[in-house]
Amino acid sequence: MSVELISANHAAALAATLAARANRKGRGFCSGVYPITPSTECMEYLCLQEIEKGRVLRVESEHSAMAVCIGASAAGARAFTATSSNGLAYMAENCVAAAGMRLPIVLAVANRTLGPPWNIWADHGDSLMLRDHGLIQFYCADNQELFDTVLCAFRLAEDSRVMMPAMVCMEGFILSHAVTQTEVPEQEQVDRFLPLTSIPHQLGETPHTLGQMEVPQQTASHHQQHHAAMLGVPQIYAEIQNSFERIFGRRMADAVHAYRAEDAETLIVSMGTIGATAERVVDLFRARGQRVGSLRVRLFRPLPSATIANWFAGKKRVAVIDRDISLGFGGVLWGEIRGLAGPITVVQNYMAGIGGGDVRPEHLENMLSDLHPRRAAGLPAMIEAL
Amino acid sequence: MERQSHAEASAQAPIIALPAGLTLPLDVRVHGRGGQGGVTCAKLIAALYMQMGLHVQTFGDYGSERSGAPVQAYTRVDRIPIANRNKVYRPDHLIVLDEGLLGTQTLGGAAPGALLLLNSSASLHRYDGQYADYQFAVIDATAIARELGIGSSSVVIINTTMLGAYARLLGAPLSVLEGCYASLGLGGDLPAAQQAYQRVQMRARTVSHPAVPAPAAAAASPPVAPISAHNADIPASLKTGSWSNQAPLYQEVAAPCNLACPAGNDVVGFIQALKNDGAEAAAAILQRTQALPSVCGRVCPAPCMRACNRDAFDGAVNIRSLERWISDCSAVQLTQRQAAARRRFAIAGGGPAGLSAAYQLALRGHEVKIFEAGPALGGVLRNGIPAFRLPQDALQRDLDRILALGVEAQCDCRLYKDDLARLQQTYDALIVCVGFGPAFGLAAEGAALEGVEQGLAFLDRAKRGRVTLAGHVAVVGGGNTAIDCARTALRCGAASVKLVYRRGHEEMPAIREEIEAAELEGVRLVLHRQPLAFTGDGTVSAMLLAEVETGPPDASGRRSPLVTQRTSRIACDKVLLALGQSKAMDLLPDTWRMRGARAWQGNRPLPVWFAGDCASGEGTVAHAIGNGGRAAAAALAHLAQAPDEAERETPDPVAPAQIRFSHFEMAPPHRDRQIPPSARRHSFDEFNLGLAGPDEAGRCFSCGRCTHCDTCLIYCPEGVIYRSGDGYRIDTDYCKGCGMCVAECPRSAIQMHAKTRQEVSACL
Repeated sequence: MSVELISANHAAALAATLAARANRKGRGFCSGVYPITPSTECMEYLCLQEIEKGRVLRVESEHSAMAVCIGASAAGARAFTATSSNGLAYMAENCVAAAGMRLPIVLAVANRTLGPPWNIWADHGDSLMLRDHGLIQFYCADNQELFDTVLCAFRLAEDSRVMMPAMVCMEGFILSHAVTQTEVPEQEQVDRFLPLTSIPHQLGETPHTLGQMEVPQQTASHHQQHHAAMLGVPQIYAEIQNSFERIFGRRMADAVHAYRAEDAETLIVSMGTIGATAERVVDLFRARGQRVGSLRVRLFRPLPSATIANWFAGKKRVAVIDRDISLGFGGVLWGEIRGLAGPITVVQNYMAGIGGGDVRPEHLENMLSDLHPRRAAGLPAMIEAL
Repeated sequence: MERQSHAEASAQAPIIALPAGLTLPLDVRVHGRGGQGGVTCAKLIAALYMQMGLHVQTFGDYGSERSGAPVQAYTRVDRIPIANRNKVYRPDHLIVLDEGLLGTQTLGGAAPGALLLLNSSASLHRYDGQYADYQFAVIDATAIARELGIGSSSVVIINTTMLGAYARLLGAPLSVLEGCYASLGLGGDLPAAQQAYQRVQMRARTVSHPAVPAPAAAAASPPVAPISAHNADIPASLKTGSWSNQAPLYQEVAAPCNLACPAGNDVVGFIQALKNDGAEAAAAILQRTQALPSVCGRVCPAPCMRACNRDAFDGAVNIRSLERWISDCSAVQLTQRQAAARRRFAIAGGGPAGLSAAYQLALRGHEVKIFEAGPALGGVLRNGIPAFRLPQDALQRDLDRILALGVEAQCDCRLYKDDLARLQQTYDALIVCVGFGPAFGLAAEGAALEGVEQGLAFLDRAKRGRVTLAGHVAVVGGGNTAIDCARTALRCGAASVKLVYRRGHEEMPAIREEIEAAELEGVRLVLHRQPLAFTGDGTVSAMLLAEVETGPPDASGRRSPLVTQRTSRIACDKVLLALGQSKAMDLLPDTWRMRGARAWQGNRPLPVWFAGDCASGEGTVAHAIGNGGRAAAAALAHLAQAPDEAERETPDPVAPAQIRFSHFEMAPPHRDRQIPPSARRHSFDEFNLGLAGPDEAGRCFSCGRCTHCDTCLIYCPEGVIYRSGDGYRIDTDYCKGCGMCVAECPRSAIQMHAKTRQEVSACL
């Protein structure tokens, strides 16, 4: 194992490279790539790697990039690509196609605000746009986690009980371009962690069609199957956590990472790097004698509802921080989890960092000052961060 | 990573000798300019601390930067993994890569006693009294890096040098620096870092004056506020113009047509005026320099058209015919100006040179008298150029305009030596424009036979009245006079006309269009032939020709003709000789000598100038007009004892490659309407009817002269070009010097200039 000083973009590409090489005795690796700020460095780095039995194709659009991955995955190769914001929007149709065809493609997303008006900074609105269509979604808070999760995503997505695409998200610039020390395992370890890619319906000797026309009852049935498979992910993820720890000597964070939450009265719930900031604020408030804890939702799809509901039980108040807004409604995370709290718990939505602002401890302190006296939840509130 | 709390994190491996006084966690902020390597500088700092076994995090503050824009990058250092993902608002260490960036924004939020390392060529003492609150250090990283060749000569990369200075300030041993560079594969840059390590000058923090509050702490991080309404754009606070090292300047460049015109006409000027304001406005410009527009618009060889940049695109602009259009369709009469001191000028010779000199002098308010040997003014215009090329009324229009300025003319007045001497005495100045001397004859057997005539004499006769010819005519020569003779001979009734010339088609000095017209009318060119003798019984009936080969080039570069022994004979009833004219001038007083374009008596220059063919021998009307005008200017300057304005350097004109052809649609030139050759063969009416309209003016590129097409304004990516008065203004506060305006200007009317050292920011 070595320690590299690399950005999260490079970490994602490095993880994909190790995973790609791990399939050299299988049907190899293929990636279709297209650049967009802030994920460009990921595909650039990938293009420079030497991968035995691997090909990285630079194509003319994100839509085509995912098309390449679909073709490769359908043939049994391990597949990966990366994009952001409007690139993901352009890729969207094929993301849904990959999910509908139950292909275990891993997609690294450097979260960036959708535009126009143009904005290059971090916002979760792009990945959340595709939350409903059958892709697993992870949101990471630091470089090591991003690296580990990309590796893990191949294992999870390709598990025969899962068999669907997985999206691993990192905030643009905050993570994608930030360089920190990252532990990088040996190829031999990755070879042990990732079995060869094997897709039950992969194209081979017997010609058949993937993604054919179907009638309503078939669609309903297939969605039911897909939904059930998704619901089984948390259990399988726990198995992978154990396997990961055995092979690499570290443990990946849980699907919902709790910090000083057991005896907390107030919980801060968030996704991504705001979760790391929340933990610093928790320490601040704890030092003042206030019982504050935090939950960082790392696995967003499938939503670990039961886990979150358990944590909400008995809590007085919950601040849900969304680095996104569902226009005309409010924060997406808030919308999904507010119903998991009991009647006595005040669940208040704070949307912060929309469009990529730097969310600092002071912002969270303000939120908690606002939340503390509340007897009932108010309308979703937006906080300005520069 | 999973842990109960950060404070209970598992201890790191023992750290290798941390520098004393280093307090953790540590926030570092780097300020540089885009392209300078500021982000990498922050990463190098991270690598240095990583070498010491510490946890690091580094990232740039990304936005819409470009080369030269202020850029920030951050590095955090701690014993435990770093969870803080915010930007650095309260730096413990400040690295400033460009002195020009120092300001409240750069220093904002710095902790008291923060370290400030500055890249500057100044010594530490230059900052005495400044930055007292900081541990202040200075290193000329640019000089070190430039000397060691890191980066390019225009963009020196200083980050690997700065790190050396920084390591020294930390108190880190050189071995740590060396280990860091080895691990990054930057061994080649180590000498620069080592030099900076040795040479950095530092100064401890001095006691801060309580009276001066640190402005930094107050502006630490942005305030936490509710959503503010943004209905207007955030006003720009950075003057991006300060980053550029070059700036555009609207500057007129000489057009090739203007430079090529022997008369010094503002061709671009009159064509653009015709296009925008009509014939009258164009005439006002044209007539400043052009005494004879109706003439030149018909018979000028048009060197402007040969020089025209449009020729490299889809065909030269038909400038000659535009000049004709202007003079035919306008009735502008310039009036005499008031002269400060009215002088009296005598002009010998009423041909184009003399007329032009008279015109320029009369325009400026002086008294002018022309002495013309012939019965009327015009010279070669009257008796040399055929009416079908230059109709009488066109010539008369130009003459009337000149006379209307008050020019006196005395015709039928041949001058001799005594006359010239007398004129020089009685007038303030004399300009001699008597044209060519006698025509060259042919020393060949039979040249004295009846029917062998000088071409000029023939043309004069034909212009005075009806001349009838019969039979076969042979013209000897290849210039305009020869062509005129040939075409006139046809119209006078010749059964056939052959033109004999000793060189080839390409070498014929006549105007191309005239040669073309002659051939269309039926003139047969007999090339590479030279007459040896004429035969006939009293009257010429045949001509003996020798074949001529082209030999090696002579001193002038022209290939000299070699007469061979191969002969042939052509029948001819009339021979016209057009072999050129000598410059002999026998009317100069004996004590006068012509030196350059001036008469000298002994070693004293006289107030006597020569102009036109008698001086330069160029043989075209346009040269004569230009020459006459320049002689007038020289005479005026001499009398006023002022420098001659006409003596100016010849600038470089706009070249075809400097015109943006892509901005123009292809459109072939408008052609002159001409009477069909069959119809005009027997008529002395003007065969060329000129253009149908002035639309050809729209094809002029206006090389080097702004036409306010707004292309620069439209293409400027910053939107900093504005219309101003009758030109443009560039907001230099925000012009980044990208040069897009210059690259897109269709006509090269705007140039980029390097800024001076004072104007360029210090980082380059």
